[in-house]
Amino acid sequence: MLTLVDWPFREVLTPSNILLVYLLGVFFVALRFGLSPSILASLTSAAAFAFFFAPPIFSFAIADQENLVGLAVMLIVGAITSNLAENIRHQTYVAEQRERRASALYRLSKALAEARREKEIIEVGVRHIHAEFDGRNTLLFPDDNGLMRYPIEPPLAISLQGVNLVVTRWVFNHGQMAGNGTDTFPSETAIYVPLKGSTGTIGVLSLEPINVRRIFAPEQRQLLDTYVYLIVHTLERANSAELAKNATLKMQVETLRNSLLSSISHDLRNPLATIVGAACTLEMDEERLDKSSRKKLIAVISEEAQRMSDLTIKILEMARLEAGEVVLNRQWYAPEEIVGSALRRLDKKLKTRPVNIHMADNLALIHVDAVLLQQVMVNLLDNADKYSPAGRPIDISVVTMPLSLSITVADHGPGIPTGLQQKIFDKFFRINEESAQSGVGLGLSICRAIVEAHGGEIQATNRNGGGTLFQLYLPLLECPPTIDPEEKG
Amino acid sequence: MKAINPLLLLVEDDPQFQMLLSTTLESQDYRVLTAATGQDGLITARNHQPNLLILDLGLPDIDGQEVIRRLRKWSDLPIIVLSARNQESEITQALDNGADDYLTKPFSTAVLMSRIKALLRRVTKMPGGTQEIFQVGELKIELTKRRVFVGEQEVNLTPIEFNLLCVLIRHAGFVVTHRQLLEKVWGPSYVEHSHYLRIYMGQLRHKLEADPARPRYLLTEAGVGYRLSEGEN
Repeated sequence: MLTLVDWPFREVLTPSNILLVYLLGVFFVALRFGLSPSILASLTSAAAFAFFFAPPIFSFAIADQENLVGLAVMLIVGAITSNLAENIRHQTYVAEQRERRASALYRLSKALAEARREKEIIEVGVRHIHAEFDGRNTLLFPDDNGLMRYPIEPPLAISLQGVNLVVTRWVFNHGQMAGNGTDTFPSETAIYVPLKGSTGTIGVLSLEPINVRRIFAPEQRQLLDTYVYLIVHTLERANSAELAKNATLKMQVETLRNSLLSSISHDLRNPLATIVGAACTLEMDEERLDKSSRKKLIAVISEEAQRMSDLTIKILEMARLEAGEVVLNRQWYAPEEIVGSALRRLDKKLKTRPVNIHMADNLALIHVDAVLLQQVMVNLLDNADKYSPAGRPIDISVVTMPLSLSITVADHGPGIPTGLQQKIFDKFFRINEESAQSGVGLGLSICRAIVEAHGGEIQATNRNGGGTLFQLYLPLLECPPTIDPEEKG
Repeated sequence: MKAINPLLLLVEDDPQFQMLLSTTLESQDYRVLTAATGQDGLITARNHQPNLLILDLGLPDIDGQEVIRRLRKWSDLPIIVLSARNQESEITQALDNGADDYLTKPFSTAVLMSRIKALLRRVTKMPGGTQEIFQVGELKIELTKRRVFVGEQEVNLTPIEFNLLCVLIRHAGFVVTHRQLLEKVWGPSYVEHSHYLRIYMGQLRHKLEADPARPRYLLTEAGVGYRLSEGEN
């Protein structure tokens, strides 16, 4: 081709210049295609020059000595530049590879940094190893007994094929690579790499690459090691975070249990002491007690037993709600009926207490667990009665709002000190610890647990003009079912 | 009239509680038989033909529900079941199986006494045939004439409302489960459609009760059913 370019200029250019043009061509070929093509190019250039340009033309013979020297120089220079160009090419390639690996590593570490839970980390690891090393792979970890198992949910559906648990266990126990391309279990199709953490092997990577030899190239091995290191490190970090979280949780549970114990022991021990004492007195001094003292003691036993019974029921109810054992038995109920049945349960207590009820006549049915919701109403009404001065009314109102039903219970009691409106719903919280009126501090916690189980909200505010106003919102999610109209007849 | 005192059978596995109840019952001039297991209870019921059974649902050998089912195959002996709180579904099942009434522990013995009395009274009343007039408080129902009065005022009820009221009157003083009411008033295919019951009960209350939100007659037993007051509560 260069010959064609040069041909028209054969009269103008001296042979040495034509040689330079050929040299330029060889140089480009070297840059573009590498060593062997460039040497081939310089040889063909030499031949073409001898044939076409060096007199005698159209013969490989070269008459002019100067041209012969020029040709020799061109060949030597061509060989050297080819070599140099090849070196540059190689270095560029290496640099490119290095850059690609660096950016792959960067992507992996970025993805790992974003992964929080163990499962996510494993998934990220598997996906990146797959992308970089071009092969099915999976990360396997021992179960609680330290025995390697297939993961319950494999990170990628196909990644488990061809994983040999025997090899996995060997690698896990010995902390050495095995499988394809190694001395141990070389007949396996996959390579098994131990995941070495700070405290020993924590798992095994099984990798089934398409090109096994490529994996064992030094740079790739190093890259694989780096990948494994990054993944293991992230896993260990996540685990220690998890451990720390569990420790905090355990501490909270412990604190809660302590407050539960102290609260229960206080609230149960006092009535128990009274009951046991009164019963003993009755048993021992039966003859010496006059009728009225006996009656008094019996009344005390009955009252205190009732109190203990109430407390025990509340504690059990709360425990049941906390344990998540309660499954809502939702049915369609009229709000009126729930309010009514709660009032009825408190009939005796509310005998002398006026109760005002504001409620529309045709409220839509609500889809709730009536027994639990009735409990909420009973607790709220009981509180309102306990903390209101005698004779002051309790006001109940039920209002349908666009997306919820609101039920309010308002009293004329002392109200709640500001800042405590949220705290009163906490377990075992009592505004006045020593008050004989207050219970165990669970009534409102139970209310909140039940209302929240219904997807609703409960809040306490101070009422204008004194007193407390409890308001609960129940979401109206579904339309109540309709009924066939009754045939008149 | 009081020739022989009524014979009660108490099936309860907790010895202390059994002792307490039998002592209390005997002090009220009832004769009491006791059994600690379901098997034993069934045998005693067959051999002694008691007038009433008080049955704890949590028994060591066979389930209390099973005791009710087996007993109901050959006897319509009145049954009061005892159960722990928060077990509305257990109670409902026991009532659907044929128990007549229930109490949740802990309960006051006074309430137990009134329930026993009411049940025994119902049994003695039964052979007399259908009742002509039911009356409680302001409420008066002439059953055969299908007329309902609140005080002096006559109230118009739809046929379904009246049927519902009749079922409750037939079991006046006792709880009737949602299922039983739906089945008897609307038919067996309606037993899951509890909203019918709620809506009609609401209508009935608005027609018969002075304050429907604080009913005096048509009482709700949350999670279980309804009870028409006999005026004692």
